Formats: sequence, C-alpha cells, structure tokens
Amino acid sequence: MEKEIMDAMAMKRALTRITYEIIERNKGVEDIVLIGIKTRGVFLAKRIAERLKQLEEIDIPVGELDIAEYRDDIHAINHSDRKSNTGLADLDLQGKTVVLIDDVLYTGRTIRAAMDAIMDVDRPDHISLAVLVDRGHRELPIRADFVGKNIPTAQNEKINVLVHEIDDEDLVSLETK
Amino acid sequence: MAERYLILEDGSVFKGTAFGSRATTFGEVVFNTSMTGYQQIITNQIYHNQIIVFSQPTIGGAGIERASYESVDPTCKGVIVRDVANVSINRRRRLSLDEYLKSQNIPGITGIDTRALIRKLRQTGTIKGSIIDPVNDLEHAFDQLKAIVLTNQQVNQVSTPKPFPNPGSGKNVVVVDLGLKYGILRQLNKRNCNVTVLPYSATADEIFNLDPDGVIISTGPGNPNDLPESLIAMVQEVERKIPLFAIGLGHEVFAVANGCEVTELAAEHHGNNHPILSVITDEIMYASQGQGYSVKRGTVDRNELMVTHYDMVDGSIQGLRHRDYPAFSVQFFPDSYPGPYEVTELFDEFSEMMTTRGR
Repeated sequence: MEKEIMDAMAMKRALTRITYEIIERNKGVEDIVLIGIKTRGVFLAKRIAERLKQLEEIDIPVGELDIAEYRDDIHAINHSDRKSNTGLADLDLQGKTVVLIDDVLYTGRTIRAAMDAIMDVDRPDHISLAVLVDRGHRELPIRADFVGKNIPTAQNEKINVLVHEIDDEDLVSLETK
Repeated sequence: MAERYLILEDGSVFKGTAFGSRATTFGEVVFNTSMTGYQQIITNQIYHNQIIVFSQPTIGGAGIERASYESVDPTCKGVIVRDVANVSINRRRRLSLDEYLKSQNIPGITGIDTRALIRKLRQTGTIKGSIIDPVNDLEHAFDQLKAIVLTNQQVNQVSTPKPFPNPGSGKNVVVVDLGLKYGILRQLNKRNCNVTVLPYSATADEIFNLDPDGVIISTGPGNPNDLPESLIAMVQEVERKIPLFAIGLGHEVFAVANGCEVTELAAEHHGNNHPILSVITDEIMYASQGQGYSVKRGTVDRNELMVTHYDMVDGSIQGLRHRDYPAFSVQFFPDSYPGPYEVTELFDEFSEMMTTRGR
C-alpha cells in the first residue's frame, strides 16, 4: 500500500523554505558549498542552488557525492584509493561551509559515510545537513539542521522520493510492506 | 431614478443616478480594476473613508451573499460604477447590491462615464470627492468639500477595540488587527489554527504572553507613516522571536520597522490583473492588490532584507523577507478573497515555518 505524503507543490515549498533557512542560518552565502548525496540528493541540491542564484545572484558550487566506498557494511580493502571515487575531487572545501543534502534521513549511516568522505578530501569549517524527509530510527548520533518534513514511520515502512529529473514526477510517498 | 452628483476636489462634476443609500458622503476617490469580487472589495476595510470606482462596467450580477463579507460593517464611503445589475441569478444571493448598500448607509452612483473618471484619477492621483444630491449652488458644495479634512487615524477607527478569539485546535497564531480582512482568518481556519485577534495597540509583551507559534500583522487602511511608533517597535521586537507574516499595510509596517521608506503612490493601485514574480522560484502568480503606498526601491537594506516578490507591470516591491529571522511580508492579499487561489500557498509557507520553529 502506498500513500502520498508530499506532492510537487509541497516539495517545492519545502525546498524554498530550506533555502531561506540556509540564508538565515549563515551570514552571507559566499562560502557555502552544497553537496548532494547520490542519487536524488544531487537533484535536490541543484534545485536549492538554483533558488540561491535567483535570490542572491551567485553561483553556489554543487558537489555530487558517491558514498559507496565509505559504507560501513562494505569495508574497502584499499582505503587510500577510496577518496578518488567520491566525485568530490574538483571541489575546494577548505574553510567552506558545507551543506550536505539528501532525500531521506533514516539510520544516519549514509550521513556518517558522507562526512568521512568529505573529511578525507578537505577540512571544511562547518558541515550542516539538509534533508527533504526525516523518517526517524537513527542508529547514529546525527540530526538534520534543515528538514523539509518530519514523517514518523514504522520500521516496515518505506519512504519513496521521486524527482522529476529522473522519475518524471515530484512525489514523496509512504509504502507499507 | 433620482439624480445624484459626484463632485471632485479639482472642480469636476459627474452627473449620474442614485443607488444604495441617499446619504451625502465625502472621501478619497480610488479606482479598482478587478472584474470580480465586488462584495469583498466593498467590505474590505482598506477602503475606509474612500469612495470606490469600479472600472468593470457592470457589478451586482451576483448579488450579496453571506460567505463573502470581508468585514461586518463596511466603512467605505461610496460605490461608483457605470451600470448596476439589479437582477442577479446567484443561487447563494441573499440581497441585491442596492439593498445591501441601503442597509449599510453607503451611497452609490451609477450611469456616469467611469472611463473618463478613471482617466482623470490616473492624472490627478487620489483626490477628495463627494456624492451629493443635485444642487443649484455647486460652489457651496465645492467649498464644503475643500473644507473637509479626512482623518489620518484610519487604523484606530477600524481596528478591533478589544481582543477576540477565533478558536481552533492547531497552531497558536496571534493576528494584530490593523483593519483585518476576514479572508486572513478564513485561511487560518482552513489550517485549523487557534487564533487570537489583538488590537493594533498590542505590545510585544502582550503578544508573548499568549505564547504564539506565529504572528500575523494584518491588512489595513491608510498611511503606514501615520501609525504610532509603538507599533513599529512591537514589530521589531516580535520579528526576532516569533515567525512573522505581514500583509498589506502590515507589510508596509514591517518594511518601515526594518529601515525601508514607504511612500505614497502617484495613483493608488487596486485590482487583480498584475502578474507578480516570485523571485526564488522564478514563477509568476496573480493576486488581488490594494495599495496606496509602496516600499521605495533603493531604500531596502540588502543586509537586512531580501526582496522576494516584484510586480511585473510597475516593478514595485511586493514581498520582503528578513535575512536573519523567520519573518516575511507581502504587499498583495494572499487570502484570495477575491482573486486567484495560487497565492494562498503563502499561508502554507507560514504554517510550515511555524512547524520548523516549534521543533
């Protein structure tokens, strides 16, 4: 069974609000770097960057982070190689304010991996976290700074986030297995 | 039908036919270009002490119905339209426009060339006018019109004298009434908010005592620069602590409270046909607008405020947002009474802002 939680309008509004909150929380947006976590986090990051450009007329760098090699259930044998596969190589993060962006915050393990990946590349001044949906059930001490919507869920439920760039529509739904 | 005159401060006389009450009234003459929503427009308190000219050639076709009042007692001083429909076919109709204006003691005048009148108003700006019975001695009538001094205490006259509740079971919202349009309460009702309406003289402490999740500064009539300093100070204090949404006159007050200048428009702007650009999403929307004043471009301190909405016809500032606090404002009416529904989303934005802050 699948239930709609956010439609395209609600998603748009959530991203707009998160953008304003990012501006509120940071004095000036010059030092901000947005890093979207693949796959859907990247599209959300790009949409937030578009909004920041509209408001502040500034091009905010957007990184696309692949955390595959930093997963805690796959212990890579060759640790020295793994940072070259994250997709962050071209970004200058030293002294920057990083806003990590993902679609769903669940156990927190993805975010832990993302932070490790970032720290391996550079040392930003500050990392914050924006998510479209926070569904609870954290397994690590991590929380989001910017949340589109809090959706309390049961463990046997699943949150599906669709983005029009690859899914042809914008939708968040809750699926009960 | 009885003959009546509209006389204007600049010496012009328009001869027409009476409808509504036969009272003699004075007021500022403003024109509204909306094609629909005359009941909401006539009952909107922003028209306190004003005589409304409709550019729409005929109004009255839908009568007056109970769901479309924007205030209990309308306080406009007259209605001018080329043609009044006395037959209305709306099944929700309770009264005809003529009957309603009679019951509220508001005079109307019809059968005059409203196109010529509006063209004149575009040149002269807002001027004083009077709806009178035909007289031989017009000079005396003009002398009287010139001698009339219209109050600048409009908000004091239309704001509620005492607080009143509009209960709900959701978010706790305080509405500061500068001449509240009921559409605002309807939108809050739809979102199940628990609302307390306070007079415009409410202090920040009085608001904090109610422990609201959010505060709305309402629409209202008149010049924001005539409002008491204490109101400006209240907004400055509240915006730092509680999510704030300011509308219409409230928007102008919010702008003044954050260092902008608000100046009188050459001709008041009333209608719902201007496209409004939402900067952040680069989208266009339409809303009903009613403003005699506007935030002066170039006086917005970009370190304090962001401009979020522009009018695409005249380029005027239609929306502001604070950089450091969850506080935003719009010049137009986001309650869509009357007007397109798309702008009511701003109330969802406000609601979600309150949710975020409540965490």
